Amino acid sequence: MSFFDLKGTLKPLTALKQFGKKPHTISYPKEKTEAAERYRGFHYNDLEECIGCGNCSTICQNKAIDMIKVEGIEGEKGDSGLRPRVDNGRCCWCALCVEVCPTGSLSLTRDYLYVSDDADTFLFVPGVDNPEGKNNLSFITDKEQSLNVFNRVPMPELEGMERVKSFAEVVLGYNEEMAREEASRCISCGLCTEVCPDHMHIPEYINAIATGNDEDAVRIIYDNNPLPEMCGKVCTRRCEDVCAIAVRGEPVAIRWLKRYATETAKTADITMEIVNPEIKEPNGYKVSIVGAGPSGLTAAYYLALRGYDVTIYEANAKAGGMTMYGIPKYRFPIDSLDKQIEYIEKIGVKIKYNTKVGKDISFEKLYKESDAVFIGVGFPQPWTLGIEGEDAKGSMQAVNFLHMVNSGEKVDIGKKVAVIGGGNVAIDAARVSARLGAEVTILYRRRVQDMPADWEEIEGAEEEGIKIVPQAIPVKIHEENGKVKAIEYQLAEMVPDEKGGRPRPVAIEGSNTIMEVDSVMGAIGQQGDYSFLEGEFAEKIQVERGRFKVNENQQTTDPKVYAGGDAVNRTADAISAIADGFRACKAIDAALAGKK
Amino acid sequence: MENIKADLISKIKSTFENVTEKDHDGNRLDFYVNKKIIPSILTHFKVNEGFIHLSHISCVDWLEEGEFEIIYILWSPKDKIKVFVRTRVERENPVMPNIDMIWRQANTYEREMREMFGIEFEGLVGEKEFVLEDWEGMPPMRRDFDTEAYADETFWHRPGREDAMDVREAIIERSREEIPDFAKKYSR
Amino acid sequence: MREKATTLYIGPQHPGITGNMMVRVKVEGDTIVKATTEVGYLHRAFEKLQEKRNWLQSFTLMCRFCVPETDPMEELYARAVEAIEGREVPERAKYIRVMVLELARLASFMLWYGGQNGSLGLYTMGQWSVGDRNYILDLFEELTGGRVYHMYIWPGGVRRDLPKGFEKRVLKTMDYLEKRLDDYDDLMFDNAIFKKRTQGVGIVDKDKAIEHGVVGAVLRGCGIKSDIRIDEPYEVYDKLDFIVPTQEGADIWARALVRRQEARQSIRIIRQVIDMMPGGPVYNKIPNPQKWRLPKGDAYVRVESVRGEVGLYAVSDGGLKPRRIHVRGAAYVHAITLLEDVLVGENIADVSAIMNSLGTCPPEIER
Repeated sequence: MSFFDLKGTLKPLTALKQFGKKPHTISYPKEKTEAAERYRGFHYNDLEECIGCGNCSTICQNKAIDMIKVEGIEGEKGDSGLRPRVDNGRCCWCALCVEVCPTGSLSLTRDYLYVSDDADTFLFVPGVDNPEGKNNLSFITDKEQSLNVFNRVPMPELEGMERVKSFAEVVLGYNEEMAREEASRCISCGLCTEVCPDHMHIPEYINAIATGNDEDAVRIIYDNNPLPEMCGKVCTRRCEDVCAIAVRGEPVAIRWLKRYATETAKTADITMEIVNPEIKEPNGYKVSIVGAGPSGLTAAYYLALRGYDVTIYEANAKAGGMTMYGIPKYRFPIDSLDKQIEYIEKIGVKIKYNTKVGKDISFEKLYKESDAVFIGVGFPQPWTLGIEGEDAKGSMQAVNFLHMVNSGEKVDIGKKVAVIGGGNVAIDAARVSARLGAEVTILYRRRVQDMPADWEEIEGAEEEGIKIVPQAIPVKIHEENGKVKAIEYQLAEMVPDEKGGRPRPVAIEGSNTIMEVDSVMGAIGQQGDYSFLEGEFAEKIQVERGRFKVNENQQTTDPKVYAGGDAVNRTADAISAIADGFRACKAIDAALAGKK
Repeated sequence: MENIKADLISKIKSTFENVTEKDHDGNRLDFYVNKKIIPSILTHFKVNEGFIHLSHISCVDWLEEGEFEIIYILWSPKDKIKVFVRTRVERENPVMPNIDMIWRQANTYEREMREMFGIEFEGLVGEKEFVLEDWEGMPPMRRDFDTEAYADETFWHRPGREDAMDVREAIIERSREEIPDFAKKYSR
Repeated sequence: MREKATTLYIGPQHPGITGNMMVRVKVEGDTIVKATTEVGYLHRAFEKLQEKRNWLQSFTLMCRFCVPETDPMEELYARAVEAIEGREVPERAKYIRVMVLELARLASFMLWYGGQNGSLGLYTMGQWSVGDRNYILDLFEELTGGRVYHMYIWPGGVRRDLPKGFEKRVLKTMDYLEKRLDDYDDLMFDNAIFKKRTQGVGIVDKDKAIEHGVVGAVLRGCGIKSDIRIDEPYEVYDKLDFIVPTQEGADIWARALVRRQEARQSIRIIRQVIDMMPGGPVYNKIPNPQKWRLPKGDAYVRVESVRGEVGLYAVSDGGLKPRRIHVRGAAYVHAITLLEDVLVGENIADVSAIMNSLGTCPPEIER
């Protein structure tokens, strides 16, 4: 290179040609430039959609999101009542909070300008402080993009027509890999625990399963539920209705995961080893329990752990109550139940079988011998249909039918069966009948979507070839030689209720249909039987509208007597009964421990 | 590729004692060696096997096992293979041989490991302070150094966020759930 | 007569548009006899913080390791996680990643143009190139929602698909930038001042390069053909047609020529990628991030950034959080031992030019 580089001196001067060109800088007066459509600016939260699960707050790696109470938003079932507040001084606009929001209520907007010299004003409650953000959404997450896993791990089941050949369990259960995967869908918000009548520690045991600590999961489950395997198979699982994932997808299979965990403890001995409960020294108090159903067993188990001398009086040959005699074995096999009863007995609970209170032993005797009595007698008496021909041979109550089948008795139901009702008992009776080889039709007063039975059960019945005739009101059972020959029913139309209730079925005149059947089973509900309370007890222990009157501690109007289960609450499910039993146990313990 | 790897393994194993190898998919090959032979084996790789490029030196604190793992990642532009030479050193008073005469940039890595993990390198020349300034506490990249606790001690939190609530606790309070202590570690 | 040595402190306020760091030089006259790099002004302990964050949360920190070129870091993290977990990446995502990486390289070249010239007092270039860089940032804003910190390439693919008509806008910008690169040549490479200040300055020859573990444009500037995209091709680089330029000069000028050609190659790659891009999904969804565990294992992955080879060593102990994330920046090797060596014998005025030429990036050194 020569000392003087002429080309190198002149060439840069070509830059002067740029003078003639349009400038690249923003022109003056300043034009407002719009942020890109996907810009990650301030947050916006749809307060109506948000359920306050707090997943945004958990994922935030800057700890910029707090969950706070917001005026005008009350917590309810399935909504914690809290809403996110963003510290924009910490936020880095990574938008992971948006990606993990299960409801899709949280998004980012195109607004990004905020200037203040007061750093305290950088706390925004999205949706409250910027309602106008709704019209300026930019970074949003739809179901496809969301990091929540909306699809459940499918549960392996027996094929529909394979099932009806036997009473083999229909649901096969998750294997370990499936359970880990399903448990990993949970975001641990805990909204489910509030609706569980027993407030089981759901996020904790699911997380234990997800991390591979099945034994811890079992321990957590047994903390307040001594019949988890039963719940894991047949619970009404209201928890799944409020699952945060269920807002846009399928709820986490809480019930199946509980089932998985409890099934890892294969026998009562193994359960004992895993749970390894602390059993207190005997404290000298005696508690008698009437009925070995879920509520009685629960109260007995936790009282026994606390050192009480507990005896259960059970009228039948086996414990379990409705879960033994009402639920068909393809849903809840007898081994499963036996394992749990054996475990409860191992703890020290005594169960006197075939001992009906009021007949084999008087209530008065129990009352006098014990420091407290718990009544968990359930609703054993079925309602009758109240139509002509109900006394004919072949007409029966579904509950009684299930009881007989579950006790191992042979029941002749013929070839064609009609089941009246739309609850779980009706579906159970229908599916059992199908397994006995019958052709089954369910008659229900209202529409299929009105049926109180589990949708899974209804689907299962349909898969097994059971016919459902909705909006059908039975009017008469035709008999021949004292035996059921046919059932006559009228079709109904749904009339909106003036008072705003659910629509009522009203029979259509002249729509009568006669269907030939060999058996008719009524499944329209049950009621209590309190005849064992004789003399003064019938007065002292008050019954209101067919149920015991109890306070929030399950205490009846006689302070020494507690009650729970179907004979107390309207929900008519096992988990409420378990909750009652647990509550009663704590109340009895508090009352008696106070005496000392 | 597989032939080159097999060849390399046999050459290394015949030259050095107590070397175990692990073959990974692709172009990666791991050797587990004693820290004493680190300078000689690295020199061997550089001079005789064509691994002229030292790509990385990393240190992992295996607190539970009481050891640091030092990983030297070498690259051979000729064979397109990367070799991990891994060694372990006690967490208590860790001393490693210095290799900055083989690759000069190792000096920087070693200074950083000395500062961040507290590992001494025999004969390492370089300023004591690298990234940190006037640091007297535990070397901060050790697993048992608690960053959050340090931040809480050293800095203050801006007030105004005390009303934050935990969703799980809010629900527990509302439904009067009693959650046992051993289960709490599984809450989020 | 021997002159008395004086110590000078260059930095820590952005010596030569690189970031906060300091070079302490001992000079005799204006010739450096000893140089010491001092870093520590940008230490944010990301690697330590990542050990306290889960595998997804850690991803948001990656882009902050190096501000001028954020995407290679995201790419590294994503690839390391995918390698440990064995996660597949959809084909389309691979092409999008390459497009983003090359756009990031271009944006980074633009900053380098500004920095290299600015360090020599030629400020017009910086005005131009940083202004033109904004057109690339506009593309990033449209694609990712952020201008500098994109947080776009993540384990399993990329976060969002291309917006409608995005390819066209990229190509338009490429056409524009290609024309601008000619303008840059007039202003920079044909500039007598630039030539005089850079030729024969900051020499890193082959021996020194090997001794110091030099990578990237610095290595290619001394005649060694080395590029991770060719040596250990990742994503879809093995399907693309591009040239790895080399120069023999081994000085700032040679390295500038290498980068000048590389910028054009990036445009070429982006055009190819857009042309070849298949359809399909862009993301292989990870499980629920709160309960996302990686199997035990480790991985070392590398990408070619503008500064050279950048690596990431990630270790999983089977838990929810990384056991160790360790980034190996190109600047980590270049800006300490190598810089200290190269500066000896140079003039004070050339310090920042040499720093720039070596691809100094302090945030990457300290992390």
